[in-house]
Amino acid sequence: MNKAIVVAKWEYFEKVKSKAFLLGLFITPLIMVGMGVLPGLLAGKEDESTKIVGVIDATGELFEPLRQRMERYTLSKGQPNYILQHIAVGNTVDIAEAVAQADAKVEGDDLEGYLVLGSNALNDSVMEYRSKTAGDFRLINRLQDNLKNILSERKFRERGIDPAVMNELRVALDIKTVKVTKEGGEETSFMKTFFSAYVFLMALFFLILTSGQLLVRSVLEEKSNRIIEVLVSSCTPSELMMGKVLGLSALGFTQIGFWALIALASTAKFGTSALPPANQMLLMLVYFVLGYLFYSAIFIALGTPVTTEQEAQQINGYLVMFLILPVALVVPVMQQPNALWVKIVTYIPLMTPTFMALRIPIQMPSLWEIVATIVIMIISIYFMMIVAGRIFRVAILATGKRASLGELVRWVREG
Amino acid sequence: MLRVANLRKDFSSIRAVDGVSFDVERGQIFGLIGRNGAGKTTTIRMVLNILQPDAGEITFDAKPFSDQTRNIIGYLPEERGLYKKSKLLDTILYFSGLRAMHHHAAKAEAKKWLDRFSLMPYADKKVEELSKGNQQKVQFITSIIHDPQLIVLDEPFSGLDPVNQILFKDIFLDLKQKSKAIIFSTHQMDQAEKLSDEICLIHHGRVVLNGSIRDVKKRYGSNSVHLEFEGDGAFLRSLPGLKDVIMYENSAELQFADGFNPQQILPEIAAKLELRKYELREPSLESIFIQTVGEKEEAKA
Repeated sequence: MNKAIVVAKWEYFEKVKSKAFLLGLFITPLIMVGMGVLPGLLAGKEDESTKIVGVIDATGELFEPLRQRMERYTLSKGQPNYILQHIAVGNTVDIAEAVAQADAKVEGDDLEGYLVLGSNALNDSVMEYRSKTAGDFRLINRLQDNLKNILSERKFRERGIDPAVMNELRVALDIKTVKVTKEGGEETSFMKTFFSAYVFLMALFFLILTSGQLLVRSVLEEKSNRIIEVLVSSCTPSELMMGKVLGLSALGFTQIGFWALIALASTAKFGTSALPPANQMLLMLVYFVLGYLFYSAIFIALGTPVTTEQEAQQINGYLVMFLILPVALVVPVMQQPNALWVKIVTYIPLMTPTFMALRIPIQMPSLWEIVATIVIMIISIYFMMIVAGRIFRVAILATGKRASLGELVRWVREG
Repeated sequence: MLRVANLRKDFSSIRAVDGVSFDVERGQIFGLIGRNGAGKTTTIRMVLNILQPDAGEITFDAKPFSDQTRNIIGYLPEERGLYKKSKLLDTILYFSGLRAMHHHAAKAEAKKWLDRFSLMPYADKKVEELSKGNQQKVQFITSIIHDPQLIVLDEPFSGLDPVNQILFKDIFLDLKQKSKAIIFSTHQMDQAEKLSDEICLIHHGRVVLNGSIRDVKKRYGSNSVHLEFEGDGAFLRSLPGLKDVIMYENSAELQFADGFNPQQILPEIAAKLELRKYELREPSLESIFIQTVGEKEEAKA
């Protein structure tokens, strides 16, 4: 047991001190934040200069009101965001000819793009926006909103209603979802549940993959330089395995803990309480640790027999699929947390942690379900660890070809 | 100290070790010799409890292998390797910790050994920054730092330059003085001959020769002649009364049949070669080795 601690300390401190770890500690959150925030920031960025938008208006009635509305948008220095250019307006317009003329202007970058309003646009509301790049969503949304309002106002007027009434009659709608609990109503939101379940899954996913991969790597290294022989002559294989699992888990938890702190600090700063209540968090943590142990044992059983880096990658691929499965099921579970299939699947050890983590924030499962799943998890972990230990014991000394599935089964039986 | 009795190990259809027995005492250097693949390393691995024997018994002071045994053995494997990215001192302390050595004691010992190997300036360097020879020294330190009673060294001299070989040899003799039991395996007979008190020759998994160097040599008689010469020595192979011959470029070791007096052919040799040395002595371990293993091969064929 003491030697397991010696191994754990070594694995932990040697990796913590490495540059790769420190880099990962800081760079990963930066990348995450970057991926989450940067595109939004960039997309939300204002245009840098005034854009000239051409209009071909075969109705002859839409150009003027649209120009008034669109030229109200201004840029940071007060200059207009858009200028609408009259290309051909009036009911005698030859659209084909005007389009050819406008296309040439777009080609020559004289126009950002142009709008084609056919002669029937007032009735069928079909219009076309043509440009080199079809990606300026904000411009298109603004054109769409304003044209919609212009057309609606026209229709109101035709029926003798003051357009001002339209604005008064517009209803604001916002459905709040309320979760019914014994203490009374508690406001919740789909996003909040989704978010907490997702964070749970991602953290688990990440932790298993990193520490599992590190474990497979370190065994692989020790196998290839034969340090493993010295190790197993100084301690038992189970001490070695336990030490590695402990040390590398501590490493993973250090990393996750550090990121959690960053995340908490930033949510505190932005004042959003995306966190579920403490009792739920605690229970989720229990499932997190159980899930972690179970998956780690699988990782050892499948990972330690590999003999090359390429095989380690392959095995990693399979394990990712195991882990991806619950992620794929997040949305269906959230839609029907009480469905029979959800309850049944909850009892499959591979799925228990994630399914419980999904169900807890939506609707707290009954006490007996919680106890039953925890007991099932503990039993499964116990057996999986025995299997992993037996495979580990043989695999660390095996060299050459990777063991076949049949051989693995034999190792487990003989152990 | 160590008793190995009737050890057997099969790898699928191959019998790697077949009925190997030997004893190693404290204060003894025990040479385990044999060709590559003879079963030396497999035997060593079983002694160290890395492999489980299929049959046979291994005891340490009449007791079977236990967790206590782990702390009194030291092991230098044949294939060298250390954690490349780790620092020298940290690495040594890790291995000493695995042998249940206390941190403070380990630190003091580590410094002593690093000093002896002139590695002190590198204590905080990474292993990968060292030369191969120096890495081997570090690994050697990890195998003896915890003052083991039984030290097992698999091909300890391979890859060492002559200066370092002498350094290692001196340390072996020191350890022997301190009543440690030392097993070392090698296929270099001159090393085994210079160092061992006892030898055990393994061939195809079986012990074909064992005992003290003196006894072994006696058994093979002393009817051996060492020659150093200049000229073409090819004719030496066809001398009368010859049992065996090992030819080198400018030297030869001739083994004559018992009862044959080598003196009588000296004139013939002296006439054909410019002799620098003519010495009557015991056969070298190398010639015994070649003879023994050669005979086995012939018997097999």
